[in-house]
Amino acid sequence: MSVMEAPENTPVWTDEDRCKACDLCVSVCPAGVLAMRYEPHSVLGAMITVSHPESCIGCNECELACPDFAIFVADKKEFKFAKLTDQAKQRQQEIVSNNYMILEA
Amino acid sequence: MSELREVISSGNDLAAIAAVDAGCMFFGGYPITPSSEVMHTISDLLPKAGGASVQMEDEIAGVAAAIGASMSGVRSLTATSGPGISLKAENLGLAQMAEVPLVVINVMRGGPSTGLPTRVAQGDVAQAKNPSHGDYKSITLCAGNLAECYTETVRAFNLADRFMQPVFVLLDETIGHMHAKAMIPTPEAVKADIKLRKTFDGAPEEYKPYGVAQDEPAVLNPMFKGYRYHYTGLHHDADGFPTEEIETCRKLIDRLFNKVDAHKEEIELNEEYMLDDAEILLIGYGSASLAIKEAVDTLRAEGIKVGMFRPITLWPSPEERLYELGQKFDKVLSIELNQGQYLEEIQRCMGRRDIAKLTKTNGRPFSPADIIEKVKEL
Amino acid sequence: MAFNYDKYLRVNKMPTLWCWGCGDGVILKAFIRAIDKLGIDKDDLCVVSGIGCSGRFSSYIDANTIHTTHGRTIAFATGVKLANPDKTVVCVAGDGDALAIGGNHTIHGCRRNIDITLILIQNFIYGLTNSQTSPTTPRGMWTVSQKVGNIDPTFDGCKLAEAAGASFVARENVTAPKKLEKVIREAIAHKGFSYVEALSNCHINLGRKNKMQSAMENLDWIDEITVPKKKWDALSEEEKMNKLPTGILKKDEEALEYCDAYQMVKDAHQGKRGKITQDDFAKKI
Repeated sequence: MSVMEAPENTPVWTDEDRCKACDLCVSVCPAGVLAMRYEPHSVLGAMITVSHPESCIGCNECELACPDFAIFVADKKEFKFAKLTDQAKQRQQEIVSNNYMILEA
Repeated sequence: MSELREVISSGNDLAAIAAVDAGCMFFGGYPITPSSEVMHTISDLLPKAGGASVQMEDEIAGVAAAIGASMSGVRSLTATSGPGISLKAENLGLAQMAEVPLVVINVMRGGPSTGLPTRVAQGDVAQAKNPSHGDYKSITLCAGNLAECYTETVRAFNLADRFMQPVFVLLDETIGHMHAKAMIPTPEAVKADIKLRKTFDGAPEEYKPYGVAQDEPAVLNPMFKGYRYHYTGLHHDADGFPTEEIETCRKLIDRLFNKVDAHKEEIELNEEYMLDDAEILLIGYGSASLAIKEAVDTLRAEGIKVGMFRPITLWPSPEERLYELGQKFDKVLSIELNQGQYLEEIQRCMGRRDIAKLTKTNGRPFSPADIIEKVKEL
Repeated sequence: MAFNYDKYLRVNKMPTLWCWGCGDGVILKAFIRAIDKLGIDKDDLCVVSGIGCSGRFSSYIDANTIHTTHGRTIAFATGVKLANPDKTVVCVAGDGDALAIGGNHTIHGCRRNIDITLILIQNFIYGLTNSQTSPTTPRGMWTVSQKVGNIDPTFDGCKLAEAAGASFVARENVTAPKKLEKVIREAIAHKGFSYVEALSNCHINLGRKNKMQSAMENLDWIDEITVPKKKWDALSEEEKMNKLPTGILKKDEEALEYCDAYQMVKDAHQGKRGKITQDDFAKKI
């Protein structure tokens, strides 16, 4: 398998030069890990953000769904991912309801 | 190519034999009268030689397969007649744009449309200059006798690889189906003279397939050898990738013209017959020239000093030589099996409008008597 | 560590020129993972595409790539493959490209059963030229060329491929990228013509006037109209209306592949065997 090194202690990371802010990765995340932030310099005015990395379960759905090679997930052998919690699921629903935008603190 | 061999064959067969002798390893085509024999013959010869010949589902696919094989690095051929060229036109444009070498044999028949499928014409001369949309420079050769069906096909393969573009070989129904003795070079002599496309041998990261001098063709390595690049019919940059950058687009089309214009002397080929002391100039090409030659001989026996100029390379045209001849001769007669497609080019090159013409578009070849009669009217 | 797509990408061409959320990128990604898993060397791979958004597919893959004319992808690829039978040749085309203008080549590629994989990106519309009816546009949908609703009957590309003789036929959905990767992998590994229909979204040109303005809405609709093969087989004819089966729909490993067949021609002409007869096709070579 063609592999690249993952940044240290990082379950999921992004390439903002490639992200087109389509929301797909946010929409497929089961754990409310991802969201869009306002970004006036992006074409669609938004940019991907890993807002809750601690909740990432390593399912890789976001990576597979991203059409732009802009999001990557660490290998399960190398990173100890979280378990899916009700709180994370709840947050995911709220992010989707919030039009995929990051929730106000 | 000094050593010659004697064969008894037809024009279409000779073109097929020439292709294989010239190292062609792929044929893609579709049946069409009067060119089908090229496919019939090469479909025997190529598998024997280790190549492949495929009859595709239509004319478009025939040329596409041939271009695809050529893109991968093998010498490729397609053969058809006028209606087939009309269908192949778009893909021929791609080969011009992406600079893919290819030999296209067009055995001309009466047109337009379905026309006279089993009858002769030279009606595709203008089409050969610009078969598809867009701006580029065609190379078109025209066989004037049986031997040239062989030698011009060989020359077309070498020119295609030299200039990295399709090269037309125009035959016509008369010459394609003519069956007689011909003296042609030996396969060894042809092989010794093969000049394959240039390749780049440096580091792959330094390879710029289209990054060449403004008067040179692209350098396109064979596929699967570690030089991974991109072919496209879009305007492209030095690496071959689509671009709309103004200067790059301008330079690309300029180069497609320059690469031919700057090296015309490598392409131009004419025959001059009895011109030195002639008082009347006859201009013709292809199978028409057979009748012209006989007419010249007959007229000279009667004391009328005529000579023939025959362009073997029709495009690019022999501009300079035509100009000189236009200055030298008062009486000029253009003879072709169309309504004057090349006459317009002769007028342009000579800068004259007083050129007599003898044309025929009823599907029948010229007889020497037609020409003799016309000359006597001048 | 993570999967390194960049090994197979022309990195300096990123980001792609496809719209945000376009399924083409998901298919490109699935294709890359499939190639990687199969261990195919980039130098031994030729990717041929046609015209349309899918036409740009080839330019993003670091392989031997050809961007051809509209619809002619398979015809070009046939030349590449016959001249280089030991190399991997993959075609990428859209529904307009391979089922409308290039329909004839699709049929005859399938018929020859030449070892080419066609990844047909099926997004139900002409995307690049902005929303014209394609042969797969569902009836009743808005298109820019049929603004009161499309009346044209639709093609089922998989049925067409099966009937025409493709020895491997599959359909998958970009919402199932792992399954998509798997069918592409199996298709490329399969010797013979492989037809893979990848159902994809075009929320920009299909969705915008058909109440699917986001990629997610468009993809939800594709999920609604697709049924996995096993479930599909149990459906009544009425239930099958306006739905499409997904998964591997045909796999025939006995069918004679065209380059192998052509080898018989070479052998016959080279005196290594006699003439080809009907008996040659009863058995595998």
